[in-house]
Amino acid sequence: METSYFSRPIPLRFILLMALAIHGPLLAMQLPLTNSYDANFHVFFASHYAHSWFNPWNPKWFAGFSQATYPPLAHQWIALLSYVFGLHMAYLVVQLVAILLVPIGVYRYARLWVSERASSYAALFSVFLGALAFLVYSAGQLPTTLSAPLYLLAIPYFYDWSRGGDARALLKGVVLTIAAGAVHHVTLIFGAPLFAVPVLWLAILDREQRSTIAVLVRGIVFGAVAAVGLGIVLLPYWISIIKHPIQQMPIPHASRSNLLLNFTFLTNYFFVPYGMLVIALPFIAIFGSANRRLRPLLLGFWVTFIFGLGGTTPIPKLLLGRAFDILTFERFTLSAAFMALPIVGLIAERLLDRSPRRAAIGFALAAIITFVLPMAWISLTPFSANADLNVDAVDAFLNRDGHDRYRYLTLGFGNALPKVSTYTSANSVDGEYNSARLLPEFTHYGTAQLTSAKYFGTAGMEALRMMLRHATHYGLKYIFIRDPYYEPLVSFAGWQKVENYDPGSITVWAREDIPPARPIPSDAMPTAVEGLLWGTLPLASSILAILFAFMIPDRARVRRESDFVLPFRAHDEEGALVQEAK
Amino acid sequence: MKRLLPIVLAGITLLLIVLAWFQSGGVERREMRAANSPDQAVRLMLSQIQGHNFEAAYARLANRSDVDKIAFAREFQGSYGSLLTYASLENFDVAPLHSSDQDSTVRVHLHYSTAVGPLDDVRDLKVQKTGDTWKVFWPVNNATKLPPQVIPVNYLRWDVIGRGAGDEWGVQNVDTPQVRILSMNAIQRPDSVVLVGEVVNEDSVPAFVNIGATLVDAQGNEIAQESSFDKIAHTLLPKQVSPYRIDFPNMRMEKIKNVRMDAKALLVAASADPVIEVNQQKLETDPLGKKVLTGQLTNEGGQVVDIPHVIAAYYDSNGKVVWVSDGYVAQPLLPQVPVPFAVDLPPDVAKGVQSYHVVVNHYDRVSS
Amino acid sequence: MRLLLTVVFMFFAVLSVTASEIHVPAQVTAGSAITISTSGSGEASFYLIGPTTANKTKVQAGSNIPVDSDQLEHAGRYVAILCASDGCTAANFFVNPAEANRLSFLVHPSRIPVGSPQGISAVAIVHDSFRNLVLKPAPVTFSIMAKNEKPISAARTSENGVAWVRLTSARKEGPTRLGAAIGHADEIRVVQQVAADACNLRIKASRGKRGFLIETDPVHDCAGNSVPDGTVVSFTESDAAGKTTVDVPIKRGVAKVEMPIDGRAKITVASGVVTGNELEVAGGQ
Repeated sequence: METSYFSRPIPLRFILLMALAIHGPLLAMQLPLTNSYDANFHVFFASHYAHSWFNPWNPKWFAGFSQATYPPLAHQWIALLSYVFGLHMAYLVVQLVAILLVPIGVYRYARLWVSERASSYAALFSVFLGALAFLVYSAGQLPTTLSAPLYLLAIPYFYDWSRGGDARALLKGVVLTIAAGAVHHVTLIFGAPLFAVPVLWLAILDREQRSTIAVLVRGIVFGAVAAVGLGIVLLPYWISIIKHPIQQMPIPHASRSNLLLNFTFLTNYFFVPYGMLVIALPFIAIFGSANRRLRPLLLGFWVTFIFGLGGTTPIPKLLLGRAFDILTFERFTLSAAFMALPIVGLIAERLLDRSPRRAAIGFALAAIITFVLPMAWISLTPFSANADLNVDAVDAFLNRDGHDRYRYLTLGFGNALPKVSTYTSANSVDGEYNSARLLPEFTHYGTAQLTSAKYFGTAGMEALRMMLRHATHYGLKYIFIRDPYYEPLVSFAGWQKVENYDPGSITVWAREDIPPARPIPSDAMPTAVEGLLWGTLPLASSILAILFAFMIPDRARVRRESDFVLPFRAHDEEGALVQEAK
Repeated sequence: MKRLLPIVLAGITLLLIVLAWFQSGGVERREMRAANSPDQAVRLMLSQIQGHNFEAAYARLANRSDVDKIAFAREFQGSYGSLLTYASLENFDVAPLHSSDQDSTVRVHLHYSTAVGPLDDVRDLKVQKTGDTWKVFWPVNNATKLPPQVIPVNYLRWDVIGRGAGDEWGVQNVDTPQVRILSMNAIQRPDSVVLVGEVVNEDSVPAFVNIGATLVDAQGNEIAQESSFDKIAHTLLPKQVSPYRIDFPNMRMEKIKNVRMDAKALLVAASADPVIEVNQQKLETDPLGKKVLTGQLTNEGGQVVDIPHVIAAYYDSNGKVVWVSDGYVAQPLLPQVPVPFAVDLPPDVAKGVQSYHVVVNHYDRVSS
Repeated sequence: MRLLLTVVFMFFAVLSVTASEIHVPAQVTAGSAITISTSGSGEASFYLIGPTTANKTKVQAGSNIPVDSDQLEHAGRYVAILCASDGCTAANFFVNPAEANRLSFLVHPSRIPVGSPQGISAVAIVHDSFRNLVLKPAPVTFSIMAKNEKPISAARTSENGVAWVRLTSARKEGPTRLGAAIGHADEIRVVQQVAADACNLRIKASRGKRGFLIETDPVHDCAGNSVPDGTVVSFTESDAAGKTTVDVPIKRGVAKVEMPIDGRAKITVASGVVTGNELEVAGGQ
C-alpha cells in the first residue's frame, strides 16, 4: 500500500478542481472575448442561432451566407445557454466545459497507453498545456478545444470495440465521435486518423488470441458507422460543400509558413503552444520508443508534430494537397501535445519514483512556465486581435434612423467585426469566415477579411477596391474606419466623412448616391428541410452522448497489468539517462 | 529498435526541415547575404528595405557619405502623409542592364502595395564592387528646397448649413448643385467596355459628384452597373470640369443597346485651395516603351498636398474624349516644388490623340 | 384599426335598434363649436368619430350635447352616435375647412443664374388655421422684393388649394426675397440670383518672378454681374517645353496665375464651357 502522494495516482476530481481554479478566473475575466481572435466570431454565429434556430442563412455577412458551412454544435449550445446567461457568459460556460473535458479526455486516452498513475499526471499536465491556453485565450478556437476532448473521450471506446468487439463501446464511441464532428469537422476529419491509427495499432498489439483481421475490420466498421452518422448529422454541411467547394484563391496564414524563417511565427506556433514540452521532446522520443506498446503513439505523435510545424517541412503540403492552403496548423499542435502527454506522464512517473521532491518541483515549474508563456505572449505578440475594441457607437449609428437599410463595411477593426455584427440589425458585405464567402470580390483575390485588407498587400487592397466599386450593387453606403490607412482610398472613391467617435479614432464615411441594399440572390441558401435537420440533429447527437455517458456503464477494460509495466532499462542505465536530461 | 527509432525520427525531421528550408529559398537568402554579384547586392538591399531594416539597407550603399540616412529611408517610407507613407514594398524585380568587373547597372522594378492600389516604380541603379562584395550607388536626391517664406493665401471656402431635422415641411433648403455631363463616349477595349467623358459643375457652389452608368440590353434589361469610382475628381468647384471613366470588365459592345448615365451631385463644404499647376505636359514614350503623358505638378498654395491624383482626358481631332487615364503620385506636393508625374495610355489610343486635359485631385489627411 | 372596428361595431349596433334620435348640423366650419340635439331619455353614451379622433362622453338622452371647437378642428366626415338603453342611433356631418389663413410656400431653386426665363417656381399651398387644405379658391398675393428695388406683387387665386407663379430671374445678381401672403400668413423665401456664365473673358500677361503673370480682367457675365469668387478659370499655355494647365478659382473678381514660359507660347483661357481670348507671348523677351 503506497502512502506517499508522489506514488499514488492523482484523483481526477482534484485535477478537475485544479482546472476550475486555474481557468475559471481567467474565463471570468472574459479573456477569450477581449483578447482572442475568434471568440467574437463564435458568439456571432451563436447569436444567429439564438434568433433563427432553424434558418442557417445569415444575411449579416458577405451579403448573406450559410452557417451550414460550419458545424453548429458549440454555437447552438451557446445560443441555448444565452437565454439564461446572455451570449458572452454562455460562451464562457461552454468554453469552461470544454476545458474541464480536456483532463478527463486526456486521462482516458492516456489510460490506453500507460498506467493509471501516469495517466493522472498526463491529465494534470493537460490543464497547463500551452497549446490549450493558446487556443482558448489567444486564438479563441472554442470548437477545436471542445471537439478535441470529445474525440479523446471517444478513442478508448474505439479501442475497446476494435480490440474486443464491445457493442456498447461502439455505440458510445460513435455517438461521441459524431458529437465531436458536430462541434468541429476539421479537428475530426484531419485529427481522427492521426489519433485512430496508433490506437488501432495498439488494439492489434493487445489483441491476445483474437484475429488481427477482425480487429482491423472492427476498426473500419467503427469508422464507417461514424462516417455515416456524421454524413447524416451534418448533411446540410455536405450539401453546401458539394454545391460550393472551396475554390477561392488561397489566403496566406502564418501557420502555413516555414516557421524557421520568422522568429515571431516560430514563437507563436511552436514555442508558445509547446512550452516546456520542447525540452521534453528528446525524452518523449526515447521513452516512446523504449516500449513496444508506446511506439504507435510515438509515431502518431511524430506525424502530428510534423503537421503542427505547417510549412516548416514539405510533408503537410505533400499529403494534404489543396487542403493545405485552406487549413491552419495550430490545431495540430494541440493534437500533438495531447499525444505527447501519456509519454510525459510516464516520464513524470519514473522521475517521481527516483526523486520525488525534485521531480515534483521540476514538473510543477515546467507546467507553470508552459501555461504562463501563452498568457504572457498575449501582451507581447506583435499581432493584435482588437477584440476588446468598443464598438457601441458603431452599433448605435447602424441601428438608428434607418441606417440598417444599407450595408456597411468596417476597415481596421480586426477581429472586432463580429462584435459589430452581433449587435446590429444592419448587414455587412464583409465577414470573418473565409470558407463561406461566395462573392467574387473575395474569392478572386487571396485575401481574408476586408477589414484587415492592408495586411494582405495588393491582393487585399484590390479586393477592397473591387468591393467599393460595386457599392451600388450591394447597397454599401456606410464605411467605418479605424485605421487612417484606408481613408485615401475611401475618399478618392467618393465617400465622405460624416461622423467620428471615440475622439476621432473611428470615423464614419457615407456615399449619398447609394440605393438601399436589396437581397443578393444565392443558390447557397439552405432549404427549410436542411434548416430543420441543422437545428435538430447536431444538438440531438450531443444530448444522446450525454445520456449514453450516464445511462450505459462502461465495461471494465480487461487488460493485463503487465501492459503498463514497462520493461524498461535497468536503474543504473536510467541514471545515465536522467543525467543526460540535466 | 528502441535506440534506432528516436534517431531515425530525429534524422527524418531534420531532413524534412532542411528540405523545406531549401524550398523556402533559404539557399538564395544565404547567397544573397554574401552580395557576391551586383544582382545579389541590389536584392539584399531591397529585401532589407522590404523588412523595414533601413539601417542595414543604408549600410549596403557605396556612397553613404553623399546620401543622408533619413532622406534615404524617406524615399521608401514617404513623408508629409504622402502615398508612400501608406505603402509597403511588396516585391521587386531586378534585371541587369550592363555589367563589368568593377561596376554594373541594374534595373529594379519596385512593386508597392499602397492604400489606393498597387504602385510601380522603375529605377536604374549603379552597383560598384568594393573588395569582395558589391554595393549600390544610390542616386543623390537634389530636391530643391523652398526657402523659409510667408505665402499669402486668400483663403476661400464654402460651408453649408442645411435644413434642420426639426424644421417644418416646406421650409426652404439649399438646393443640390447643378452638374451636367458634357460628353460620353463608349469604347470597346479587348477585355471591357469603357465609358469616358467629362462632367462640369454649372453651379456657383462646390459639388461632390459621382457618375453612375447602367448598361441596358436590347430587351431593356439592366446588364451591368458601375460607377466612376476613383476615375473622377469628385469635388468640383464652380465651373470646374472633370474627366470621368467608367469600366465595365468582361463586357462586349454588341450586348449593349442603351446606356443610362446618372450624375449625382451633393452640396459640400469645400476649399478653393490649393491651386495645382500642371506644367510641361507631353505625350512621350517611356524607357519601357509605353506611351505616357508626363509633366510636373506644382503646388501654388502654402499647404502640403499629401496624395495628388492626376486624371487626364485625351481628345481626338474632333475634340471628342477618346480616353481617360489616371495615376497617383507617390511624392507629396510641397509648396512650389515641382514633382514629376506620368500616366500611361494604350498605344492604339495614343495614335489618335490630338490634345489632352489634366485635372489634379488630391487627398490631404488634415483636411479630409 | 381600432377606429374602424368601433365604426363597424357602432354601425351594426345602430342597425339593430333605432329608438333615440340625434340631430346634427349639415355643415360645420372647422374650429367652431356646435350643439347636437337628441331625443329619448335616460343615460346614454355619445360617440364622436372624426378623421383623426374618436371621443366618448356620458350624456343624458334627450338633452343637447355641446361639442367643443377643439374637437372639430380637422376637416372631413364625422359620425355622431348616441347609445342609450333602447339602442344606438347615428348621424353624419361634414366639417369644412375654415377661412384660408396659412401657407406652405415652396420656392425652387434656391440659387439661379441671372436672366433665367421662367426659372423660379413659387408654389403656395393654402391652409386654414388648423392646417386643413382649403380647396375653395382663395386669393394669394405673391411679391418679389429685390434688393434696393420696389417690391412688385401679383395676385393669384388658388385652385384646389394651390396657387403658383413662375418667375424670370432678374438681370442683377444678389438675393431676392419672394413672398406669399394670405389672411394673416406671410411667408418669405430667399432666392440667390447669381451671375451667369462668364462673358467676354479676357486675359492679359505681364512679367512675374517665375515667368509670366497671367491675369484675367474682372470676370463678369453678359449682364455685367461679377462672377462669384471661387469659380474656376482654366489657363492653358503651350510652349516648347510642353503644355501647362492650371485651374484657378476667381478671387476678388479676377483669376491669376504665374506660369514659367519657354520661348514663344500661346495662352488660352476658359471657364466651364466658355472660352476667352488667346494670347501669344515670348519668354525671355
